[in-house]
Amino acid sequence: MSGLQRLLWCRFSWRHIRLAPVSSLLLVIILALGVAVYFSIRLANRAAVSSFQNFTDILTAESDGLISAPAGSLPEQTLAELRTTFAATPVHIVAVLETTATRPSSPSNAGSIGSRETFQILGVDLVAVQNLPSARSANQTWFEQQKALAQGSTAVTLADSWGRLSDPHAVFVTARFVLKQNLAIGSTLELVINEQIHLLHIAGFIPTDPARPTPPDSLLIMDLPALQTLTGRTGRLDRVEFVLPDGPDRSHRWEKLRLELVRLAGDRWTVSTPSGRRDSAAIMTLAFQLNLTVLSLLALVVGLYLVVQALDGAVIRRREEIAILRALGVTNSAIHRAWLLEAAVLGLVGGATGLLLGWAGAQAAVRVVGQTVNALYYTNSARAAALEFDEAAVALLIAVLSSILAGWWPARQAASTPPAQLLGRGRSAIPTPQSRWLLPTAVLLALTGAFLCLLPPLRLNGGARISLAAYLTALCWLLSAGFAAGLLPPLAAQLLRPLAQFSAPFRLALSHLRHPTGRHRLAIAGLVCAIAMTAGMAILVGSFDTTLRGWIERTFMADLYLSSDGAQSASTQNHIRPETWRALIAHPSVLDANVVQVAEVQLPGGSTLLMGGNPAFMRSYSRIAWREEPTDNTLWDPAINDSLAIASESFSHRFQLHRGDSLTLPTPTGPKHLKIAGIFSDYGNERGSLVVQREHFERWFEDSQATSLIIKLRTGADADALRSHWRTAYPGLAVFTNPHLRAEALRIFQQTFAITHALELIGILISVVGLGFSLASLLWERRADLTVLRALGVRPGELALAAAIEGILTAAIGVAAGLIASLALGWLLIHRVNLQTFGWTLETDVPVSWLGALAALVIGMAALTGWGVGRWCSDLPAERQE
Amino acid sequence: MNLSRFPHLLPFFCLVGSFLVAADLSTFPTLPQPGRIFTFPKDHGSHPDFAIEWWYVTGHLRADDGGRFGFQSTFFRRALSPRGASLTNSDAFFASDEIHLAQMALLDIQTGQFLQEERLNRRGWDASASTSNLHVRNGNWRLQISNPVKENRLDLLTNTLPQTSILLEGSIHSDASWNFILTPRKPLVFFGTNGVSRKAAEPAASSHYLTWPRLNLTGILTLKGKPRNITGIAWLDHEISSSQLGAHQVGWDWTCIQLDDGNELMSYRMRRSDGSTDPFSTLAWIDPQGTVQQWGPEAFQWATEAVWKSPRTGASYPSRVLITAPNPLGGPPRSLRLRPLAADQEISGGLSGIPYWEGACEVLDQTGRVIGRAFLEMTGYAGELRRAL
Repeated sequence: MSGLQRLLWCRFSWRHIRLAPVSSLLLVIILALGVAVYFSIRLANRAAVSSFQNFTDILTAESDGLISAPAGSLPEQTLAELRTTFAATPVHIVAVLETTATRPSSPSNAGSIGSRETFQILGVDLVAVQNLPSARSANQTWFEQQKALAQGSTAVTLADSWGRLSDPHAVFVTARFVLKQNLAIGSTLELVINEQIHLLHIAGFIPTDPARPTPPDSLLIMDLPALQTLTGRTGRLDRVEFVLPDGPDRSHRWEKLRLELVRLAGDRWTVSTPSGRRDSAAIMTLAFQLNLTVLSLLALVVGLYLVVQALDGAVIRRREEIAILRALGVTNSAIHRAWLLEAAVLGLVGGATGLLLGWAGAQAAVRVVGQTVNALYYTNSARAAALEFDEAAVALLIAVLSSILAGWWPARQAASTPPAQLLGRGRSAIPTPQSRWLLPTAVLLALTGAFLCLLPPLRLNGGARISLAAYLTALCWLLSAGFAAGLLPPLAAQLLRPLAQFSAPFRLALSHLRHPTGRHRLAIAGLVCAIAMTAGMAILVGSFDTTLRGWIERTFMADLYLSSDGAQSASTQNHIRPETWRALIAHPSVLDANVVQVAEVQLPGGSTLLMGGNPAFMRSYSRIAWREEPTDNTLWDPAINDSLAIASESFSHRFQLHRGDSLTLPTPTGPKHLKIAGIFSDYGNERGSLVVQREHFERWFEDSQATSLIIKLRTGADADALRSHWRTAYPGLAVFTNPHLRAEALRIFQQTFAITHALELIGILISVVGLGFSLASLLWERRADLTVLRALGVRPGELALAAAIEGILTAAIGVAAGLIASLALGWLLIHRVNLQTFGWTLETDVPVSWLGALAALVIGMAALTGWGVGRWCSDLPAERQE
Repeated sequence: MNLSRFPHLLPFFCLVGSFLVAADLSTFPTLPQPGRIFTFPKDHGSHPDFAIEWWYVTGHLRADDGGRFGFQSTFFRRALSPRGASLTNSDAFFASDEIHLAQMALLDIQTGQFLQEERLNRRGWDASASTSNLHVRNGNWRLQISNPVKENRLDLLTNTLPQTSILLEGSIHSDASWNFILTPRKPLVFFGTNGVSRKAAEPAASSHYLTWPRLNLTGILTLKGKPRNITGIAWLDHEISSSQLGAHQVGWDWTCIQLDDGNELMSYRMRRSDGSTDPFSTLAWIDPQGTVQQWGPEAFQWATEAVWKSPRTGASYPSRVLITAPNPLGGPPRSLRLRPLAADQEISGGLSGIPYWEGACEVLDQTGRVIGRAFLEMTGYAGELRRAL
């Protein structure tokens, strides 16, 4: 920094910041809030995504690769085949089985889905895992800690060590978990696995190593055969991983092995890598994350309007000084740089503060994001968001760059306006677009947006779709609305002119709107942006709410719904054993039942859910919302419908398949060729569902475990009484009555929108503060006029009233334009972004009362702010600098 | 005195003693019986009614590029409970009644580099021992007899047991791998009396101890990615037991010696806690025809001539040993000096947690002339075995 630049910084910039600490602080806080929202959402997203891990990495450091069945699980015989094939190949073959579990419900959380923590249980061969190279670097191997425990206790003998390990209920947990839960080695842990409550014995700690991922507290590890027995999945494996000994040509050796695995596979398994799995998980949630990130930028975008306004205000306040500096020979570029430096410092301080706020906010956001990821995608254990330095750097960069960008025009104007004009106190530093350009620009942007919204979504590997063009449309339309709103103040003034005769303050306020400055237009554009995005989101959420209520109403028409009490989200893997569900549906009160089985299957475009159910039951006991109604009546006959399936709308969008189209479904008993008989609306997941007759599912997957039961009772049967009876008889079962399940479905749905509501609130807050800033700048600019008015006898109260009316009118114009834009934005979010990304058709429902309240709130706040600012400005002496 | 060599049980006992459960003789009543009639090739295979069994191969190798190597490949089987008649599918793949430990070690004599790896698996898909033949495997390691013959007679013309060959496949991480064919040059020998080898004072402590004391070896050794054609001579033990260590024993020194004149010697010295040699120590000579002569500890001596201290464990091992053995042909005792081909051949015992020394040596006579090769095993120097056992 040159001497002049330093001097300018100290005497010109820093002095003013010190002289006006409150407004400087407010600006920093606004910017910080914008950055904080963005940063917290990014961190929460990252935490949710990174909590998806190949849990085996905790033991293997990282496997070279893995195989898994494209549908269902792998038979144990695969291991023998693999070892025979790789008889002479130095490779550790690690068999893995996974399941989830939860604590049994207590009276305080019974019936509240998702209220209990989900544990991930990893089953590996605890003897063979000692052979992995990574086991040698751990602080203690499984056996060593057993030995240490044995030596440290007179109660435990060496012989007990193997006894404990071979205990079919032995479980290993993290040391942190034991500490937190006030447990100890040897304690019992009561868990619901499938529909049974098991008492597991804490046998030891999961060995840790700095070179390997830290195990989450929700991870439990069991011996593989014990877990197979416990889950009723004897002889089955979820995947097989391969760990090659370390060495210089490891990647080459894996490639050789991979090719051989692919050659052997046929349609029995797919070959992937741990990083590939993580990428798939990241892609799976990409659209969801992107949506949240875009929403999180709302506060930042609105905040940028504020930066422009604030810096412009500063230019106004300091223009005499600028003129003097220019007169003293300070060059334009030096003044320009001084302003940019000030903007950059503002961005830096605001950004740094935003990082701290954002990190704190992320800890709250991570649970909400984690719950949504749990509900829609995969079980994740995100409980806290780590401070990610790359994300922090990006957020800080965004803050500084956007602050510089926002400060560019005010700085340029400050530097380029002639001193005489600056001293003349006549014009805003903000460039005022000629009115004649506003309409064409707005129309051009609107048309560009309209064209973009016709484009299809970007399709990624793994089935994810990104509505990139729709987001660009939103941007175009927001800008278009902002430009168009610039035309409104004179029109409004014209319209309200007849009212001016009744009030001097009103006349005064209207006079300013009749000839709006760039600041007016910027304030209105900022407000339009905030209102449009906030109201647009509200329309989306409102439409979703209405649609979902209708869907729940039509779909959930049976009497009782049963699942494992461990099923805390869509991604949990708890089932109901066949002996249990057969006993349940044989109850004399049961008229009919739909036994539902679910398996994840891998199709060429990505993974989806295959459900085995009873289409005829669905037709009889619910009103299916068909997108494409079946025309083939064989669909309803279990005896002949083994080549038919019905697909959810998400499935149809994701795989671009419609009624009449065919697909090949991988199953453990070989590929099955299916024709899609119909497409129905479903809002349960965005990966899509394919429904086939359960009997065929059972045969194809050689599996009889049910995921849920839907029960229709005989007339006169008491659902509540039967629920109580079954809850007592089967404590590991969750039994919901119809009203209870409907309420839970709605509660979970509303929970997933908690972040959206928080973002809406922040958007409103920033837009109101921005309006206050704008009014303050407008009045400051006119303080000479205010002095004259006061000299003419206008009272401070009248000046404040005039400012309040100006604020109300400015806000009303912004709100009106914003609401109109929000309708377009709402339509875009519902019919383009949502449909393209998630494949859900929603009924449009504009929450009129909510929007009215929003408008009233913003206008009311604008009145209060205008009055306060007007009162403050009316007391300012004309000569005072700040 | 009928003694057997059980020092090779060390790592296995350490492992199963420390981490798993020691065999309970009440659940494994099967003990070696005198006069047992062995049936081959079945008895080369596994004996699940015994608790403990191992197959141990060592050898000295010479590569076509002049390189010299020593190797050890050992497969242990340890039953934890009697094998049940009603096996579930899970038991077949992940049995909890039996575990298998295996160790591989390789010494590059020219560079002194010593590589090692050990592996532990439960009986099942990744480790097993056939009950009908010699076919033991642990991961990608395998010892398997091919073309087995029932006869245990030496073909005097070829000096081999024709048609019998044994495949040994092993590897050490990504550093080395080998594929050897072992061909017995002498008949199988049985140590002990009447087919039973006593191990300690406890009457139950006994084993069937079968050895091929000299096998020709050919094959390929790949070291650091470079394959080499290999020839060499190997030693193969197969021991079957249900017993445990004696209460008074703290460690042992064991060796197998293959002299250039066609004779072999096997000896071990059991060390007691008071420093004395246990009376169940033994020494055996095997002549070129495979005839075994055995002596008790009063007939031979082990003397330590130098000591090597492990930089990793701090254990001090005898690094040069002088064995004074009775002469099987009569006459004055023979002095056999064992000189390790590398000082550091300590087995880390990563899984067992108890290190020991087992390595390739050359054998020198009184004049300092090299007259053969040996493998030497020294245990109980890195911590007290009894605590672990």
